[in-house]
Amino acid sequence: MKPDPYDDLERRCPRLGGPVSFHYCRTSGQGPPQCWKVIDCWWERFEVVTYLKAHMTPSEFDSLTSAKPKPKVATLVDLIRRARAAAGNEDT
Amino acid sequence: MEARKILLTEDEMPRRWYNILADIKMNPPLGPDGNPVKPEDLAPVFPMNLIEQEVSDQRWIDIPEPVLEVLATWRPAPLVRALSLEKALQTPAKIYFKNESVSPPGSHKPNTAVPQAYYNKVFGIEKMTTETGAGQWGSALSYACSQFGLECKVFMVRVSFDQKPYRKSMMAAWGGKCVPSPSTETRAGREALEKDPHTPGSLGIAISEAIEAAVADGSGKTRYSLGSVLNHVMLHQTIIGLEARKQFEKIGLYPDVVVGCAGGGSNFAGLAFPFVQDKINGKQVEIYPVEPAACPTLTKAPFVYDHGDTAGYTPLLPMHSLGHAFVPPPFHAGGLRYHGMAPTVSQLVTEGLVTPRSVTQLDAYHAGVLTARTEGIIPAPETTHALAVVVEEARKAKEEGKEKVIVFNWSGHGLLDLGAYERYFCGELENYELSDAEIAKGESIFQNYPKPELLKGRP
Repeated sequence: MKPDPYDDLERRCPRLGGPVSFHYCRTSGQGPPQCWKVIDCWWERFEVVTYLKAHMTPSEFDSLTSAKPKPKVATLVDLIRRARAAAGNEDT
Repeated sequence: MEARKILLTEDEMPRRWYNILADIKMNPPLGPDGNPVKPEDLAPVFPMNLIEQEVSDQRWIDIPEPVLEVLATWRPAPLVRALSLEKALQTPAKIYFKNESVSPPGSHKPNTAVPQAYYNKVFGIEKMTTETGAGQWGSALSYACSQFGLECKVFMVRVSFDQKPYRKSMMAAWGGKCVPSPSTETRAGREALEKDPHTPGSLGIAISEAIEAAVADGSGKTRYSLGSVLNHVMLHQTIIGLEARKQFEKIGLYPDVVVGCAGGGSNFAGLAFPFVQDKINGKQVEIYPVEPAACPTLTKAPFVYDHGDTAGYTPLLPMHSLGHAFVPPPFHAGGLRYHGMAPTVSQLVTEGLVTPRSVTQLDAYHAGVLTARTEGIIPAPETTHALAVVVEEARKAKEEGKEKVIVFNWSGHGLLDLGAYERYFCGELENYELSDAEIAKGESIFQNYPKPELLKGRP
């Protein structure tokens, strides 16, 4: 997506605990470029869903809205396995 | 003069944590193979003494003396009567709060950082790693490590690292080493930097780096630490509610209403779990975890087994969730998404022992500013959510003419988070809420999912 007037809007990120710009939210995701909470966080400021649909393909939009973070324990188990595999400690 | 603070002496500080797992039944977290996650799965990043606490169903767990000695630096935390807030609200309710902003880092976080550092130390660990967003947890762990002579490495999301250089200094003052994430110190960080040398980072990358730094230490002397969600974190935080219970005993009162903000769940759990135990044993008390109205998962979402991705690669966990397949309608998107929550808190909602409430951010800041102008302490943004419900309950008490006793957890001060207040003062916040029909629409996606057993620890 190209830069646009919304990019400089700021709000407090509930995950980081500090201010972020909309540009950060639409570019900091893992997988889809947008953060999975982008809609939750910005719907109060402007019609972010309409905005995203206008800037994404239907499949990209579906991918974003179907994405969600892993539960914490699941995240840990997954990351441990990946880190151990990368370190050559486990055949996974 | 009417007494504002109810204090305990250090001798009166609780000597045991309360483990709610003794009093509730939990569906286990499931791995990708559909089987429960085993303790050894977590052993590469946590010392076994903490893993034992994570899975323990022992009701009371002794707080080690060296942990008490450090906690005594600021604990027992005062229970404070919010007389000025009461006066401003013209309520007959008596409002009390546990002031957790008095800890060295200014929040409730060191209640678990300190014991985690201690258990790592006695397990033979020499270095701890963690990730942090804006620095609250990283500061708490740095402080805790300094008390037990441990090294501390904090991977701080770059965007926050650049905005809040004083957080790095704060951690450095306690001997912690804070590096911006992505860093060049880990494979995960280097890969992110290769993709974009100017990336502002993310929590996902930071946690990957912290885990990798722990796992990759061939000496086995490094472990990772997490400040929310997990059972042992909730356990350590119960010292808040255990103290509060003693403080109320001292003045011959017992709360009618207990309130805490529920993000990951730890500050709510810390105050509420001991009162949940009383409720289980027959006490009449209303207990409210409070979440933002934009994320009403606890308030309205079904209790389901759900996993972290559409492919089903990640473990299934029992939780309140509206799931991953729901596409929010264009105008009504807020909140209809997965929202991480401690499984123990989710279970208490299922059992009807606690009643989730949600508040809009505007109401939260109204209450936060009112409280700052009456009680003086500027609350952390998380705390303002609890305050909104406190204000609502106090007004309700006035309408009903009831002298209710309300207690809430003042989880931290907001002195390092004033940007959030700035947006409120600039009038940038707006409210929007979801309808029941929209929530119901989201529930349909779980038709083909396994259903967790609705376990209850009692009839």
